[in-house]
Amino acid sequence: MRSLISTNTFWTLWLFVHLICALGLLGALTHQAMAVALPVRKPAAGIVSRFRAVPAAGYATAVCVLYVITFLIGSFIYTQYRIAIRIPLEAQHYYKTGGFFDFKEHVASLGLVLLPAYWYFWKNAQNPEYDNARKGVTLVLAAMVWFLFIVGHVLNNTRGFAS
Amino acid sequence: MSTTTTAPVMTQPTSSLARSSKFRAFAITFSISGPVIYCVIQHLNYPLVTYWPAIERLVWGLEAARPNSGPNMLWYGWTLTTIIIAAALGIVAMLIPERITKKIPLWLVWVFPILAIPYVVYSLMYWWRLAARQ
Repeated sequence: MRSLISTNTFWTLWLFVHLICALGLLGALTHQAMAVALPVRKPAAGIVSRFRAVPAAGYATAVCVLYVITFLIGSFIYTQYRIAIRIPLEAQHYYKTGGFFDFKEHVASLGLVLLPAYWYFWKNAQNPEYDNARKGVTLVLAAMVWFLFIVGHVLNNTRGFAS
Repeated sequence: MSTTTTAPVMTQPTSSLARSSKFRAFAITFSISGPVIYCVIQHLNYPLVTYWPAIERLVWGLEAARPNSGPNMLWYGWTLTTIIIAAALGIVAMLIPERITKKIPLWLVWVFPILAIPYVVYSLMYWWRLAARQ
């Protein structure tokens, strides 16, 4: 594939796919986090209530699959980042940006290892024994994914698409 | 007058995996031990593999910086080591009687990743020092 398109286009396409998967993951996890943090007890009236009133348990497998796909694509893009992005960032003294990207990679790994318990808690959503753990792990995972997304977005603005 | 509710309808898990007490032990042990193992592995620097993106070279274990090879990447190795050790612990937990694994506090699943964050920030001191010098 790399012989058909330019190197820049090749990596830009992968970065775009990574972004699309991240957006799906962010949306699903934010719905779930809202559903566990502020569960709706009455018929959903406004847009915020309807946002919280989703059947959150049904998102668990999709979140796990999207997380793993986004993680794997991010891991693939990371090889190019290490050479084409990080070295110029350091040369231009963007140390905080570089530091936050390394922070992002660690958070991504910490989030990955949470997935088995997260999935199990959601698949047993009828069991009140797991209510608090499910709420805690979903909120932590949602915070992590928001962090990953924002750092990735800022880094892309610093030196991303077509750079 | 009856009131309808939109609270999620809770049904029994349809997946056999979700009903399995052995998978419960595996999943909870894996997720609790994962963040701890990741921090320890990163601190001790025990990557399963080292990748050299400039020359597309992948080697087992830690390979220190070499001339004319570009930067090395250890994060893949740290993550793989963590997954293997956490999975091994999870498999051991599956062999332990359920009455023991049931006693594992579930809140550890979300507390350990939060506790790992300060260590991770500290481990990136190289970057913060460079930024502070500017």
